[in-house]
Amino acid sequence: MAGELGRFRVPVDVRDVSALCAQSRQASLFETLKDYPGWRLAGALLTSRKRLALAMGCAEDEVARRFEEGLGRLIEPVVVENAPCQQIVLTGDAVDLAAIPYPMMHLFDGGPYLSGTFVVSKDPEFGRNCGSYRLMYRSPNETGIDLVSPSDMRLYYQRRLDQGKTLEIAVAIGCHPYEMLAASYKAPIDLDEYWVAGGLHGSPVPLAKCRTVDLEVPADAELVLEGELLPIGWTADEGPFGEFSQISGDVKWNPVFRIKCIMHRRDPIFYLLQMPWENDWLAAPVTEAAGLRALRNASVQPVAIRAPVGSCGYWTLIASIRKRPGEGKNALLALLSVAEVKLAIVTDDDIDIHNPDDLDWAMTFRVQADRDLIVVQGARGKHIDPSIKSWELGKGGLPTTAKLGIDATIPEGVPKKLYRRIRVYGQDRVKPEDYR
Amino acid sequence: MRRAMSPLASTLIREITDRPQQFHQLVDVQREVPWPDFLRAWGELRRAEILSRDETRRSH
Repeated sequence: MAGELGRFRVPVDVRDVSALCAQSRQASLFETLKDYPGWRLAGALLTSRKRLALAMGCAEDEVARRFEEGLGRLIEPVVVENAPCQQIVLTGDAVDLAAIPYPMMHLFDGGPYLSGTFVVSKDPEFGRNCGSYRLMYRSPNETGIDLVSPSDMRLYYQRRLDQGKTLEIAVAIGCHPYEMLAASYKAPIDLDEYWVAGGLHGSPVPLAKCRTVDLEVPADAELVLEGELLPIGWTADEGPFGEFSQISGDVKWNPVFRIKCIMHRRDPIFYLLQMPWENDWLAAPVTEAAGLRALRNASVQPVAIRAPVGSCGYWTLIASIRKRPGEGKNALLALLSVAEVKLAIVTDDDIDIHNPDDLDWAMTFRVQADRDLIVVQGARGKHIDPSIKSWELGKGGLPTTAKLGIDATIPEGVPKKLYRRIRVYGQDRVKPEDYR
Repeated sequence: MRRAMSPLASTLIREITDRPQQFHQLVDVQREVPWPDFLRAWGELRRAEILSRDETRRSH
């Protein structure tokens, strides 16, 4: 992997793998784990945009367009026999989560949790859904599930809960980054994320039929948990988690996942998704691609887009556009429609949005606060943003947020020539090396 | 009636009864215990529903 993988050959205690991943510039592969014979552990695979681009087979500034390409060619998955993820099948008393290398992640976590999950569920009306949710360890056959934020699976669970019934789910760990990206994508409720993953791969995702629930999981996964969410609502304490917002959160109230079956490969590699950076880099292309789509749907022509890692690749979108009159504002409205994006900035295409100084310059000289800001109140928010004060909502409550758009394009009526950047006389002709 | 606890689970209960603390502090005290054994004992505490949590992130 282009020198991007660091191997740890000395046996490591699972309590220490996250700390080692966090200090490594490379992706990490732990070849021997204390007390977990036969298991290996891979962590921090995608903690840089460079490695994400490598996984996607494209340049770093092309990841959003590459993701968008995949969205444009949905491919139906196929069910296969003899799936690698089903080489070992454990049911009944053999179900023991303590026998898989459940890692300690952060100092203030309320327990160890699974981070790199690909979670599948079904609804009779809306069909199959795939997402990614954290699962904090509770006991050898139970975890919590961080189902606080609005999502399709939260809706599926609510519909079953209203009937007093469980919701079957399957959790795959150790999937291809394309599956993880598809799971991160906020697809329309009737779109099966396996089709998105297929589009990213350029071929159908091979699936395995689960053994104890009516669901399908990626056949190439390393580890699978099958079971059901108990119909108890948001009543079980879970957390705190180290959040992808880079903040240590608070205790949450969530449902409980009871596990009926554990399956894994004969030589499994557990996948530790290193929070927050790996999560943030996975979020960025999904948010950026959603932004590109929203701009095109609004008939605005995007030139570049960026979901900065300071906003966790999630809350902020910055785009440069080829602007026609009024499109600065149209672009802002489009970008602010994306998921929980709460800050959008739009510039003209002469601004390098990857250069913070250039962006500051545009916001300084092309923005008048009384004309170029848009504030939207009461939009959908996310609990883990402390400024939302979600603790005031009570158990199961859903937060709202305000959104801000900044139009940093050249204002209508201001001649472009007033923004002509200075250039040093003779710079293209005179070279320092000729005078040394 | 509470199920009989393993010696390690009983130790953990004593720890958090004596001094409400964060999860990592319990882990640090029991570093010599193999991680799978610690997880199973922690599971006994959770199943017995003797943990409660507050907004200061402490288990007690």
